Amino acid sequence: MRPSQVVIHVGTPPERSPRSSSDFEEIQYPINQSPSWATRSAREEELPLHYMSEETARRRVLRGPSGNGVHQEPSQTSEKEYEIYDDEGKDVYAKMKDMRSPLGSGRLRRPPPPPPTTVSEFIQQNLEHIPPIVYTLLSCWTRFHRIGHAPLVIWDEAHFGKFGSFYLKRQFYFDVHPPLGKMLVALAGLLSGYDGHFDFTSGAAYPDNVPYVAMRVMLATFGVALVPLAWYTAVELGMSWRACHLAAIMVLLDVGWLCISRFILLDSMLLFFTFTTVFCLAKFHNQQYQSFSFDWWLWLAMTGVSIGCVTSVKWVGMFVTALVGLYTIEDLWEKFGDLRMTKREQLRHWGARITCLITLPLLLYMAFFKIHFMILNHSGPDDAKMSSLFQANLVGNTFSQNPLEIAIGSKITLKNMGWAGGLLHSHVQTYPVGSSQQQVTCYHYKDENNDWVLVPRWDEAPYDPDGPIRFLADGDVVRFQHVATKRNLHSHPIPAPVSKLNTEVSGYGDDKIGDYQDYWVVEVVDDLRRGSKTHVDKIHSLTTRLRLRHQASGCYLRAGNEILPQWGFKQIEVSCDKENNPSDIYTYWNVETHINDRLPPGNAQFYKTSFVRDFWHLNVAMMTTNNALIPDPDKEDILASKPLDWPFLRLGLRMCGWGANQAKFYLLGTPVIWWGSTLSLFVAVAALGIYLLRKQRKYVDMEPREWDHMIYVGKVAVIGWALQFVPFLIMGRVTYLHHYLPTLYFAVLTSAHVLDHFVFTTRRLTERTKWIVFSVVVFSIIATFWWFRGVAFGIDGSINDHWGLKWRSDWNIYEE
Amino acid sequence: MSGLNSPTPLRQRRGPASRSPDYSVVSQDDDQVEFTSPRNRSAAERILETDKANIAVVGILTVLAFALRFYKINHPDQVVFDEVHFGKFASYYITRQYYFDVHPPLAKMLFGLAGWFVGYDGHFLFDNIGDSYTENHVPYVGMRALPAFLSSMTVPIVYGIMKECGYSTIIAAFSASLVLFDSAHVAQGRLILLDAILIFFISMTMYCYVRFRKLRYQEFSSEWWGWLLGTGTFMACAWASKVNGILTVVAIGIPVLIDLWDILDIKKGHSMEYFTKHFMARAVGLIVLPVFLYLFFFWIHLTILTHTGPGDTFMSPAFQETLQGNELLLNSQEIHYFDSISIRHRDTRVFLHSHPERYPLRYDDGRVSSQGQQVTGYGHEDSNNHWQIIPTKALPETGRGRIVRENDVIQLLHVSTQTYLLTHDVASPLMATNEEFTTWPKDDYSRHNDTLFRLSLVDAEEGESWKSKSGHFKLIHVPTKVAMWTHPKQLPEWAFNQQEINGNKNINEKSNIWFVDNIVAEETGADVGNRLNIGNKKPKSRNFFKKFAELQLLMVQHNAGLTASHPYASSPINWPFLLSGISFWTDNTGQKQIYLIGNLIGWWTCVVAISTYVGIIGADLIARRRGVEPIHDSVRNRLWNSTGFFLIFWAVHYFPFYVMSRQLFIHHYLPSHLASALVAGSVLSFVLSETVNYPISIRGPSTHPKPSTYADVGMKGPIIVGVFVLAMFIMFCYISPLTYGTPGLDGDQVNARRLLSSWTLHFAAKPSSDV
Repeated sequence: MRPSQVVIHVGTPPERSPRSSSDFEEIQYPINQSPSWATRSAREEELPLHYMSEETARRRVLRGPSGNGVHQEPSQTSEKEYEIYDDEGKDVYAKMKDMRSPLGSGRLRRPPPPPPTTVSEFIQQNLEHIPPIVYTLLSCWTRFHRIGHAPLVIWDEAHFGKFGSFYLKRQFYFDVHPPLGKMLVALAGLLSGYDGHFDFTSGAAYPDNVPYVAMRVMLATFGVALVPLAWYTAVELGMSWRACHLAAIMVLLDVGWLCISRFILLDSMLLFFTFTTVFCLAKFHNQQYQSFSFDWWLWLAMTGVSIGCVTSVKWVGMFVTALVGLYTIEDLWEKFGDLRMTKREQLRHWGARITCLITLPLLLYMAFFKIHFMILNHSGPDDAKMSSLFQANLVGNTFSQNPLEIAIGSKITLKNMGWAGGLLHSHVQTYPVGSSQQQVTCYHYKDENNDWVLVPRWDEAPYDPDGPIRFLADGDVVRFQHVATKRNLHSHPIPAPVSKLNTEVSGYGDDKIGDYQDYWVVEVVDDLRRGSKTHVDKIHSLTTRLRLRHQASGCYLRAGNEILPQWGFKQIEVSCDKENNPSDIYTYWNVETHINDRLPPGNAQFYKTSFVRDFWHLNVAMMTTNNALIPDPDKEDILASKPLDWPFLRLGLRMCGWGANQAKFYLLGTPVIWWGSTLSLFVAVAALGIYLLRKQRKYVDMEPREWDHMIYVGKVAVIGWALQFVPFLIMGRVTYLHHYLPTLYFAVLTSAHVLDHFVFTTRRLTERTKWIVFSVVVFSIIATFWWFRGVAFGIDGSINDHWGLKWRSDWNIYEE
Repeated sequence: MSGLNSPTPLRQRRGPASRSPDYSVVSQDDDQVEFTSPRNRSAAERILETDKANIAVVGILTVLAFALRFYKINHPDQVVFDEVHFGKFASYYITRQYYFDVHPPLAKMLFGLAGWFVGYDGHFLFDNIGDSYTENHVPYVGMRALPAFLSSMTVPIVYGIMKECGYSTIIAAFSASLVLFDSAHVAQGRLILLDAILIFFISMTMYCYVRFRKLRYQEFSSEWWGWLLGTGTFMACAWASKVNGILTVVAIGIPVLIDLWDILDIKKGHSMEYFTKHFMARAVGLIVLPVFLYLFFFWIHLTILTHTGPGDTFMSPAFQETLQGNELLLNSQEIHYFDSISIRHRDTRVFLHSHPERYPLRYDDGRVSSQGQQVTGYGHEDSNNHWQIIPTKALPETGRGRIVRENDVIQLLHVSTQTYLLTHDVASPLMATNEEFTTWPKDDYSRHNDTLFRLSLVDAEEGESWKSKSGHFKLIHVPTKVAMWTHPKQLPEWAFNQQEINGNKNINEKSNIWFVDNIVAEETGADVGNRLNIGNKKPKSRNFFKKFAELQLLMVQHNAGLTASHPYASSPINWPFLLSGISFWTDNTGQKQIYLIGNLIGWWTCVVAISTYVGIIGADLIARRRGVEPIHDSVRNRLWNSTGFFLIFWAVHYFPFYVMSRQLFIHHYLPSHLASALVAGSVLSFVLSETVNYPISIRGPSTHPKPSTYADVGMKGPIIVGVFVLAMFIMFCYISPLTYGTPGLDGDQVNARRLLSSWTLHFAAKPSSDV
């Protein structure tokens, strides 16, 4: 047995890297690899490396400064295990040699240096930050250079600029993306003095009063920040200084990231928060031996905040969230197997993760929606996507002026109360299948084709505008007549066009013609204000939830999320459901607008809405709209691309008009970076396979510590890449090249890691070879960037005058 | 670590309740000892384990399986569900007409063979569900007997798999009866459908692989090779029977890889040469042989189908010319300048047409047209479909120089109105993004440039001549780079509801392809019939591998393209829970129907079993993570290796459907259901008693003898299984009118058999109280 008190001689501490209080864990802080830090101490050789054997690497907990020796038994066994690895010199490289690579599996805790007294001391202390500062400045130049060169609305600026304007005008709008990114666009607009009155028509020139340059600059700042983030992430991932430089240079000089960052788009923010998530995760990982320290909590919480932000910009942020999730699950699984940890500690770990990585992001996500609703309190173009009650609370909406109680003869619109339900709609077009009668659909925009009049049955006296008012109550049998076409809402035993098991709902007859199949029984479910059905005497607009039963066949009017084909203008199918499922909210309807001159107007205070309900409603609406963005099989979209095209950069994307007299932007990556990073992914997977095979045959290629580090960085990079990429292969929606941009980051990290592993930190190569490889890679990146810089900075003049840009035959960069 | 040697009695679970009292005195770590002697087991177990009992059980199962699957196999004497397809394909094999289908040919060829055996001549085309077989004199019973036979044989194979895996007889019988009494297997198995054949091959693959694994200590013996090659053969058969048979290949591949990985482990002490030998053996048995067989089945397929048939049009012209009597082969000829031709769109089959009527000046949506002469797509032969090819270069008087070739720039003159085809940058009537096609008078040269089109032949080399029928081409407008295109949408009344023709800016789209249907006349107006001797041409030969590659690619593309909605299609999440079935066939007169639905008891048992298994494994993993080992090693190995193997089959045949976007039906779950029945058996065995037959692998020359243990599920095993099987049988009988399509049911009876509200049965009675 070892003595319980171990004193480990760690040698003379190097300059500016004073020894920490712990008696192991002296893992070099990676940054001291910058060339100026040439002094490498003997300390590394004497590190108790066997402590880092697989078994114990992640189980150790923070130890007190004195080292009470409680957790030292494993070192005995692991030392023995290590003997087994020594199989007759098969592993030429495994013996303890000078570790040239800094390994990021534990972080050196340095006490804060004394406050600098002179400028040179200050510089000395912060020498490690000079490269990132230089890169940041370079990044400013690439991002801001000629940023206002094209005074036109480029590509999706048409959307996101417009959405930003809605915030400034405070009008409600609907979009498939969560609000954070667009609110930041609006903030940029607000700060630069934009008043929100430009409608961002695609390709239009910006008028003088739109400070588009300032807005672009503010959003490009997120793009600038990518570069230092990449640098520090590489540092935190424990890469060698060359790999850090490489990662930063690749992020700096990729024309795809550059191009997308220079406009009023969400991608720069999405990228920024993706980068911060990985950065925070790496930071947090380096705190793993100091659980519950301040830094540990800080970076755990920051990871949560990053997750919250990235998913609040675009939903694809879920993919990087999945990476954090997998990391956490693995981490907790490791801890779960640590029998020395007390139950309390286990619970604290679980609790910390749940709080910081689930609750916190969720709260943030909801908070952004709360702000979204608070800002957008005026009626706007997409009101009808939301529930009637929500609309009633918007400024400029007149629902509250509706008469409260519905009566025969009222002109109404009917709103489906299912999540993301629309308005009952009909138009002159007929069904091409089934009965060939007039289509009845559900529609999300307000127009006069949504208006229906409540009329009495055919066997009753016709509606008399001067007779006594007959209010509508539960169980009444009425007809609904479409105002614009005079057709009656009708159903008959013919299968509906999409949900074939339901019957079709159509518009039939007119003022005179009709039959018993036009009768609908109004069944009250409850009232959102007055409570259960027993309290509902008369049916109120907005708050009363109804179901409409077809009297003849007993089926219920339903609008689920089935979309009609092109002949129905992709509107939502309305059918009559033979199953009576009283809890199916897609059969619930409420009266939205209600016009009846003979009744007094209502009162706004009746209509309260709940945030959680609106939040959920909006999210479901976003989801259904997003899922409806499927490629039209009849027509190949020239802008869309398949996910498998991206890693090989098979296609570029024209972002604007291609005329000779305007600046042209072409979304394309720097080919060397894209192809190189894709290649590195294959190399990484192949290398892992070979290493595993060799491990199975007990060839020892590296120390356990090196192995752990390689696997850890590889997992973050390759699994991160796969999580960002594979879902696109599966999802049905239309995909574009820019969807690969967050994914590319993980490919870039992989390439830095692969080069790091095979070249920069290997002991087989001389320093000179490493310099040569490094220079060749950096030079080729710089050269390719310079060659292609025009696609991001804007190409002037006729495109065909610029020679040599078409490196693959599928790029449509030239006019033919 | 508190492992095996721990004195704490972690294993609180005791074995069967029927254990005789003297067992209880055995000390706590002697669980194994209890069952080391086969005589100590319960009486029921000992009786059932004998060979005689074994044979009796297999015999009963097989006889029952045949009885249930052949019962009233002649009913209905009408075409049911997909018999429409597969019966038709069998006919084509007999008449040797070429057809195209997304599924590989083996199972369909077997149907063809079965039909041929029973003397069917292939005259009937199985056009509609409900067509009568007896009226058309189709010996359908013989054809249905094939899947019924294979489906029946599946039951003893399931029994065999369980038995070989070392489970008790009664447990094996339990698994087999889950398949035996399953209404879905029965309904699917007695019709001319591929699934029964697929499932038979899958179960044979599993059986062979289990036998192969059991011989792992006698590697490279002839028996070992036999079962290995057997696995490969049946795997290839499954793969060649139906597209989803490819999943079987994956399902076998995973355990093989795990196996190889273990052999590679240095702790086993094998040399690399030894490993290589193993690897090569599996490569031969499980890669080379199956691929060869798969190709072989296609070779037979293509050798049988030598005549032209309904599948011609799917294939490339080069392929079509290998088929006897093919239209392309007979009528394809080179096109000369000044020939008048009719041009047809490949996908929508309309002719390029024009007539003197003009586009209206203003469309409904307010856009303005050129008011030029209409160019439309028209579905029928008409003299307005004739276009003359006008050269844009000098031509020799006679000879080969007058042939139109790839990349030539041509003009098309509409013969009856003497106007040139033209397109220009005006939005087409229906699509604002596409260019309008119109025509321009012959003698007005002001728009000459806009009438120039470049001929781009599909897959052509430079200088290739343009042929009628076979020369598929795109017509690219020279000045604006659009391709002539059409789509099924009809123009309004003003164009007589004909199809719109417009210029598509994306010239790479596959739907831009047209072909010349016919050469109507030569320049002189003479008929072209005498230009070349037509007819009597011999089919060209083409390399089998080229034909195979083309066919395989098309199959994959079309399989992915089967996305149209179907009222009985369902999503995979519904399948294990049996939430919906498929209406196969209905008969209004007798209120009879066949509704494909499983045995509710059996399927839900399987779901419970799978969840239990996942729960046990999960709990075991978690417990081991905390240093507790609740399950004995031999039992644990059985749970991981044998039940895990079944679970892989279940998962691999199930989860891929989640990412498929094609239309899916519940019968796609049947292979998974079979695997889940196996899981259910082993879970039942685990629940009843933690004993297994061990070792079950055949000892090799170098293996050390190990203490044997014997499975014993006690008396309660047969009782529980007996009661369960009885319940299954009652359920089976109860819903058998839906399975066999007879007898007819009245409305209330239908309602009573609608066990889940999501089943959509026909002839259900209306709810009597209409409020």
